[in-house]
Amino acid sequence: MSRRHPFTLLALVAALTALAWILPAPAGGLGTAAAALALAAAAGPRRVLVPALVTAAPFWLFLLLLHDVPSTIAIGLRLTTMIASVVWVGALLPPGRLVEAMVAAGWGVTAAYLFAAALSAVPLLKARAQRIVDAQRCRGLSPRGGLGRRLRALRALALPLVLSVLHEVDERALALETRGFVPGARRTPLAPPRDGTGERAARWLLLVACGAALAWRIAWRG
Amino acid sequence: MSVRLLVLIPAAAAISLALSAAVDAVALPLFLDTTGTVLATALAGPGAGIATGVVTSAVNTLRNPTFWPFVVVQIIVALYAWLAARAGLFRSLKTAVPAGLGLGVLAAATSTPISYVVFGCTTTGGIALTTALGRALGLPPLGACFFGSFVADFGDKAVTFALVTSVLHALPRRTAARFPWALRAVGIAGSAGPA
Amino acid sequence: MARLTLERVSFWYPATERPALRDASLAVAPGEVVALVGNVGAGASTLLLVAADLAPRVVGGMIKGTVDFRGRGNGEGGRGIVLPTPWTQLSGMAFTVRDEVAFGPANLGWPRERIAGAVDRALDALGIGALAARDPATLSGGELQRVVIAGIVAMEPALVLLDEPTAELDPEGAGLVWRLVRALAGDGCSVVVATSDLNALPEVAHRIVWMEDGAVRRIGDPALLAENALCEAGLATTVADVWRTARLGAPYPLTVAQAEERWRQ
Repeated sequence: MSRRHPFTLLALVAALTALAWILPAPAGGLGTAAAALALAAAAGPRRVLVPALVTAAPFWLFLLLLHDVPSTIAIGLRLTTMIASVVWVGALLPPGRLVEAMVAAGWGVTAAYLFAAALSAVPLLKARAQRIVDAQRCRGLSPRGGLGRRLRALRALALPLVLSVLHEVDERALALETRGFVPGARRTPLAPPRDGTGERAARWLLLVACGAALAWRIAWRG
Repeated sequence: MSVRLLVLIPAAAAISLALSAAVDAVALPLFLDTTGTVLATALAGPGAGIATGVVTSAVNTLRNPTFWPFVVVQIIVALYAWLAARAGLFRSLKTAVPAGLGLGVLAAATSTPISYVVFGCTTTGGIALTTALGRALGLPPLGACFFGSFVADFGDKAVTFALVTSVLHALPRRTAARFPWALRAVGIAGSAGPA
Repeated sequence: MARLTLERVSFWYPATERPALRDASLAVAPGEVVALVGNVGAGASTLLLVAADLAPRVVGGMIKGTVDFRGRGNGEGGRGIVLPTPWTQLSGMAFTVRDEVAFGPANLGWPRERIAGAVDRALDALGIGALAARDPATLSGGELQRVVIAGIVAMEPALVLLDEPTAELDPEGAGLVWRLVRALAGDGCSVVVATSDLNALPEVAHRIVWMEDGAVRRIGDPALLAENALCEAGLATTVADVWRTARLGAPYPLTVAQAEERWRQ
């Protein structure tokens, strides 16, 4: 499955999630949840299936707390479908491959850049935030005290982080400019993922299936 | 769109997602996950703000699959922040905090139907718990759901607006002048208008 | 026929009253290495940004005077700049070092085979072939610096502008960068480098530009780095400085080799 084109994987996730809501509960949700969990299990019971179940578990708990049993099952199966399929695609699809697919599909570099740059910046910024927290702790920051003290402490942590990022915006822009980056321009995809006719057909099929299910559901209800 | 604005968007999105580390350190029940959206809007206008909100949701979804339906809230936040910036509400904390509280109500009103329809009101532990509390107090399901979202959003958005105001004022003028709307947002007339 | 000509260029950053560059004139020939030396605030970094066509085009601000570059736009046959903070110069779009170095050439729209060749040569020139599959986010400062320089070199520019390229590097890495600068010049590429690694310059630079307070104070051959005025400004080579402090008499030698020669006489 991991060799499939990124768009096919995403289409599958979108279709499963959409069908979970479109098809009548609980049978529809049972089917989509089973499919999503099967995909997760096939990708790796420990690496994918367990994290998916762990993420879904608290929702079931709170659903039981807030709703009766039939609604709990209906909503829970939908959520399980959504969570399991997104966890599955997250484990199967390296971001670099998705970026390549976007570039190869002629989306221009803008969308690919926005996604990839945010993704790669988050861990770096989190590490920086942690360094600021550690530094302020050395200077006596304490997570205790009243609301006012905590808010002031939060400001002392957040402000340097945000300002450092804004200061770097200019240097990053200069670096991109000097390397020939032009928003909206097409660039050479370095390793375009293979996209066969079969996969393209499969994506259309998924779309048609969702549309048909929706039409059937509306007609059946009305 | 200039390359500088293009760089600002993922940087602001990453701020939204990295601030959780600072929040954890002071043990406050906040998310601050719209900070980047508000900041990008105040610096560079609604287009940059909406893009930041969408990117934030997309990246957040990879870590927690239940976040993507709330992209709608991010867009509402960007539009509201745009109106607030045009009205000069980032000029001081006295105007920014009430504006943030107003956004809290609006954000709760936006996220309630999403939370209700998609999640049966079970989004993130804290909100689900306050929703349960609302039920225990005898509120109807939708009312309890709004109660839960409201408790979560009200303070969060006020702190977000206060933080963005602090940032805008702490920004050196030389840096601020490079973003098309930064000076106007804090009430300094001058280079307003898209660069 | 100069590749880069600056004629009486002044530049103001946005929202500033004082120019960061004042009336600067400089011509750089193909295959020439020109070094900018000066203390903090001398204007060397600003001159590089102006020469790279990033100030005022991207930075904003105001310029007076003329900047003439004989080459194409950015990148291939054009000009590339390396700023002193390598961690802000990663594209953010690459998840391996190889893709990071290929970022520029890919933006130029080269065919994949040509990109692969240029990337291999650049990785080789910077001695980072072994890092090719690593995630750039996991690299040390020195490794990053080399990756960023490789990213510019891979675009095969006609003018390379380097701002403190050895600041993050150990002596071995610095030596490698200076050898690369000479090799680039040997291939006809022009190099303008702002650096405080003064001891390397007699071996590398054809000409020295002494900058102070935004203006070009003097331009001369590397022997400039042994003159009294530069010693006083803290911009002479270590050997010249030691020779002067020891009152061994002018003219001061530039390098250890010259000092040894003088000593024998």
